[in-house]
Amino acid sequence: MICGFCHREIPEETPEKGCGRCGGGCRKVHCPYCGYENPLPSPLLERLLGRKEKKK
Amino acid sequence: MKCAVENPVQADQNLRRIFLVGNPNVGKSVLFNALTGAYTTVSNYPGTSVEVFRGTCEIHGVRYEVLDTPGMYSLLPITEEERVARDMLLNERPDVVLHVIDARNIERMLPMTLQLIEAGLPVILVVNILDEAERLGLRFDLHLLEEKLGIPVVGAAVRRRRGLKEIRAAIVGFDPSQKAVFGYAVDLERDISRVTSCLSGQYGLDARAMALLLMQRDESLTELVRSVEKDNFAVVEGAINEIAFDRRVDLHLRISLERKRVCKGVLEGVISEDGQRAIDWAGKLSELTMNPWTGVPLLLLVLYFGLYQFVGNFGAGTIVDFLEGGLFEKNLNPWFIDFCRTYLPWNWLFELLAGEYGIFTLGVRYAVAIVLPIVGTFFIAFSVIEDSGYFPRLAMLVDRVFKQIGLNGRAVIPIVLGFGCDTMATIVTRTLETRRERLIATLLLALAIPCSAQLGVILGLLSAVPGALVIWGGSMAGLFLFIGFLSARLMPGEKPMFYMEIPPMRLPQPRNVLVKTLTRMQWYFLEIFPLFILASVILWAGKMTGALQWLVEVMQPVMRLLGLPGQTAAAFIFGFFRRDFGAAGLYDLQTKGILSPAQLTVAAVTLTLFVPCVAQFLIMKKERGWKASLAIFAVVTLLAFSVGFGLNRLLLLTGVPG
Ligand SMILES: [Zn+2]
Ligand SMILES: [Zn+2]
Repeated sequence: MICGFCHREIPEETPEKGCGRCGGGCRKVHCPYCGYENPLPSPLLERLLGRKEKKK
Repeated sequence: MKCAVENPVQADQNLRRIFLVGNPNVGKSVLFNALTGAYTTVSNYPGTSVEVFRGTCEIHGVRYEVLDTPGMYSLLPITEEERVARDMLLNERPDVVLHVIDARNIERMLPMTLQLIEAGLPVILVVNILDEAERLGLRFDLHLLEEKLGIPVVGAAVRRRRGLKEIRAAIVGFDPSQKAVFGYAVDLERDISRVTSCLSGQYGLDARAMALLLMQRDESLTELVRSVEKDNFAVVEGAINEIAFDRRVDLHLRISLERKRVCKGVLEGVISEDGQRAIDWAGKLSELTMNPWTGVPLLLLVLYFGLYQFVGNFGAGTIVDFLEGGLFEKNLNPWFIDFCRTYLPWNWLFELLAGEYGIFTLGVRYAVAIVLPIVGTFFIAFSVIEDSGYFPRLAMLVDRVFKQIGLNGRAVIPIVLGFGCDTMATIVTRTLETRRERLIATLLLALAIPCSAQLGVILGLLSAVPGALVIWGGSMAGLFLFIGFLSARLMPGEKPMFYMEIPPMRLPQPRNVLVKTLTRMQWYFLEIFPLFILASVILWAGKMTGALQWLVEVMQPVMRLLGLPGQTAAAFIFGFFRRDFGAAGLYDLQTKGILSPAQLTVAAVTLTLFVPCVAQFLIMKKERGWKASLAIFAVVTLLAFSVGFGLNRLLLLTGVPG
């Protein structure tokens, strides 16, 4: 995932899968470089839009 | 549990080792595959979940082991991946380090090459994706670059298998003994030699590189030095603290800037642009967005087309008219109310479902017909802007202004996020450096930054009366600056510097925009829908028990002072639950024709300034403590109503907007 603010690559295994701070099942990933909060597509949405081919 | 065989370090000690390093997406993996062929293994780096790829290859009869390290942006690690990549480089003494960079972004990526050279690593620079860069009209004098850097430089387009032979030749013929030193500014050099003279232990790194990393406060390296230097560590630490104090600057920032300056010099004469080449529109535009003279008009253009036309007129006008006016008011609501009246014998249940504050007639209608189309269009506009890379440029543009209000460009992140949701933005203020900045940012978020839904509804509300929109925007911006300026004066303190790496601008990708918009809408809807239902239930209970009437009654005098009709009080009470709910309430009043343009303006300004929603208040309390958050609450409430009061008087006097 590319960060929407600084456009750097957020590693897949970022400890924050969902920021875990807000209620209501927050689904946002904070960029480790700039703190920007990126929306995490739901599995359903990913399936609907056709999952991007995994790299490597 | 991992057995030793899995450990990538346990390689055949006779093999020479090649490490591939570089940013993600520069073609490292392609090069890795091209060098090693099919026989590669993946294993976790010991003690981490980070995967490391390795394989072997034979070049001119010499066998090498090749390791593909996780992507990294600098030797100063932030993520686990970066830390692993750094540790691999520093602890495992590679024979050759191939630093792969993207030729199109050479200026952004070269500082890391400098770091690697400084660290005393045996670096070969691979300038990859050269074909694309040339297609853009860039020409490189790689011989000159090689001379200036003092290390082998190879141009390549590994996807097209170009440059592979040269890379292999460079690896075999590599002589790690030659080494360039890059001079920094005199004062910085003095600091570096001061720190190096304090170091007494033996490290795998050059003393110079150690000094630089220590000055940049690299935590793991500081720990290493602490354990090696033992008693002497106090001297080292003292020297660094003294330097940081003397300079009164962020050393990390200073060193990055200095490195950038050196890179600019190195690249002079290395890159040239074709005379005939198509103008680099992205680059030109990028500069225009950051120059105050052109950047501000561009910002206004973005706001006008992105927010006013698209969100205000199209989303809140066309789509809401269709859903709210057409679908709900004309068809769904009458049918549902009739249905309930016929089949529900109890008035309380009728009221709960289809009454004034009914779950369907208020909660569902607000959520589906008013808020959803507005935030939907807002999220589209937001995602387009985000995907184009405009935000970091905005950060640079507003940096000057923000310095005047006790913040700096870094605060753009929480402020921009505030336009999404103030609650989350309040949490993100943690990333700001000083307590003072965090307090100012929290106050400004609570006061003058409307969240996406509120902004959207207000835009929709006011786009019918452009004069009101201008006054509203002016009031928000003015108050934001004024209160920021005032609090910066009242809370004196250091003003940290700001520097940010600017990613290249690009044309937004429709797919990205679609995914982001749908994702945001989905989570937003899931989040607000139950809350809207809950709010209408609470309001219903308030109506049935008379509590709501009482509250509205209590607020009457305040409303009268603002020159607003009594019903507006309800919208303010809605606003407690959620900012967008309050704005939607106002929208309702407006469509019923209850508010005059002047009243609409006053109501919109007061409501936007007034209270953070419950969630934001709770987070404020958690992040800043009771004292600060109650003080902010009091200040915000007082300001909101006094501004509303003053504005009403002013509008009555001047008759604007009419
Ligand atoms: Zn980021
Ligand atoms: Zn969250």
